[in-house]
Amino acid sequence: MRNSIRRIAASIVALIYALWSVAAAHSYSFNEIVPDVRQPLSVSGGSACPVPSHQLTSAGSISVRWSTVLGTNPTTIITSNQTPAGQITELQQVIQQALSVWTSVAATSLAPSSLGTLSQYASADACASDGINSICFDQADAAFTPGVLAFTRIITADAIGIQVGSSAPSTEVGQILDADIYFNPSDSTVSFATPSALSANPNSYDLESILIHEFGHFLGFSHSAVWRAMMFPFAPAPGTYTGIRPTPQQPDAPLADDDRAGLRTLYSDPNDAQYIGSIEGRVLPANPLSLPLSPPNVTGIFGAHVVAVDTTSGAVMGATLGGWSCQAPGPAQFDGTYVINHLPVGNTYAVYAEPLDGAVTPANVSPALTTLCRNSTTDPGWPLAQACVVPTPDTQFTTRTLPTL
Amino acid sequence: MSYVQRRRFLWALFLLGLGLIAIAASATTLARLQFYQLVKDSSAIARLRCINAQTRLEDREIWTDSVFEVMQFDKGYLPSHILVRTPGGVYQHLHSHVDGVPEFHPGEEVFLFLIGRPGIPFRIVGWTQGTFRIRKNPFTGLETVTQDSAGVPVFDPQTKQFVKTGIKDLRIDLFLEKMNKELHRQAL
Repeated sequence: MRNSIRRIAASIVALIYALWSVAAAHSYSFNEIVPDVRQPLSVSGGSACPVPSHQLTSAGSISVRWSTVLGTNPTTIITSNQTPAGQITELQQVIQQALSVWTSVAATSLAPSSLGTLSQYASADACASDGINSICFDQADAAFTPGVLAFTRIITADAIGIQVGSSAPSTEVGQILDADIYFNPSDSTVSFATPSALSANPNSYDLESILIHEFGHFLGFSHSAVWRAMMFPFAPAPGTYTGIRPTPQQPDAPLADDDRAGLRTLYSDPNDAQYIGSIEGRVLPANPLSLPLSPPNVTGIFGAHVVAVDTTSGAVMGATLGGWSCQAPGPAQFDGTYVINHLPVGNTYAVYAEPLDGAVTPANVSPALTTLCRNSTTDPGWPLAQACVVPTPDTQFTTRTLPTL
Repeated sequence: MSYVQRRRFLWALFLLGLGLIAIAASATTLARLQFYQLVKDSSAIARLRCINAQTRLEDREIWTDSVFEVMQFDKGYLPSHILVRTPGGVYQHLHSHVDGVPEFHPGEEVFLFLIGRPGIPFRIVGWTQGTFRIRKNPFTGLETVTQDSAGVPVFDPQTKQFVKTGIKDLRIDLFLEKMNKELHRQAL
């Protein structure tokens, strides 16, 4: 049975903290989609509650291929071994390393065995909505504009039995059918260096950090607002890398606890006995009249960032974008609810809430906030009883300490 | 939590916060576009009102085409309505998603820094960096603009410093003045 630490939730303390370091910490979030309840129950599940996008984690279920075609004019990928064969080997190692950072996190159902083949593909245009997960280093794409270094495009099914390209039909709602990672191939001012080449190329971005971040999207993560999290929206400065380099002793070292908590939430391990703590509660306004009148039925603060801090270490252990809850058959209710799951038991936590008005804004985490509802405007024929409209995130509130219960 | 424990905790938070502020001076980065670069890299700058958004499949990828009514344009020449294309969208049962791409809703007003020309879909320079949302104070009627990427500390490769730039809650007349000044400077 899940341990709840609800008592602590009453101590939403950190408002003073929030006032002067609102930008300091935020939270993991997922790319949420609402199942298509217009479809029969057998393929939609019948509930309009949002479901996070996710990969299947059975043995060998996550295959990736990468395009060995690298740009030469300009050179965007820099390796320490400059021979053609050496470049390929070095890049393959970085990709494998970046994948294993995520698969080595303890107490998740995502395991090294979940990874299928990492294959090579000798064509520049490996990335497309074809049902094959691909990494492309030299594929121009109309989505690139100045300032965009790399991105991941994921395609998720909102019902069972959906295919894209050559993918197998989806067996779960929210299943990712295709995930492609694109690196900007044509910006003469941007290059990416492998870890062994980074120190000699301080103006290059760390390829490993960006790959680990993009693999987070590949697995279903949206952006986090925790400053040191791998899923923070912005890449480390040229010549630097995020967190600590992975080692054989700690292969998940680059990740922050927020990333790990998110992964455990997204890919929970039914046998886990350690990371089963949860903190939940609601963020409510002192004056209910301050809640928006439109859309109707908003009864709590929406879009608050709620953070759990380990009181012993001071570390941010997990956080969430609060403000909604959902019980089947849905839709989402905007009642100020927050839940932070998969925290280690036996620790003491303090919780604070803050508006998304700092380093990370609602625009940076929009998929976690804007895709919670579907209705007849977005989807003709959507049943009224399961329809809702996502309110605008509240970025104007301030918080205050409540007495301990 | 007792008073002593709470006080100790708040001190711990304070010290943690100081540490994080220090990290902020040497951590995150974005391929930054300064305001003058947004102006320079764009072929059109306009105040737009979103009419609707539709998803389409093209070149084996899913795109969202948002139709905007042109309220005013400050650079380039635009017809009364334009199409702005962003990656991702919902196509049949497929939800294609790219993090960091701005989304627009009918009725919303924005300033966008665009690349392209009439007849083909426009794209947004720097995605969130080239997107400025207009907010109207319901009590005073005062309009302000906020850049989607505002508040983010970004790395300036030239000075090797992190700076927190971006435009947040700037009065619209001041924003227009800033833009016109930059347009005038670049025209010289």
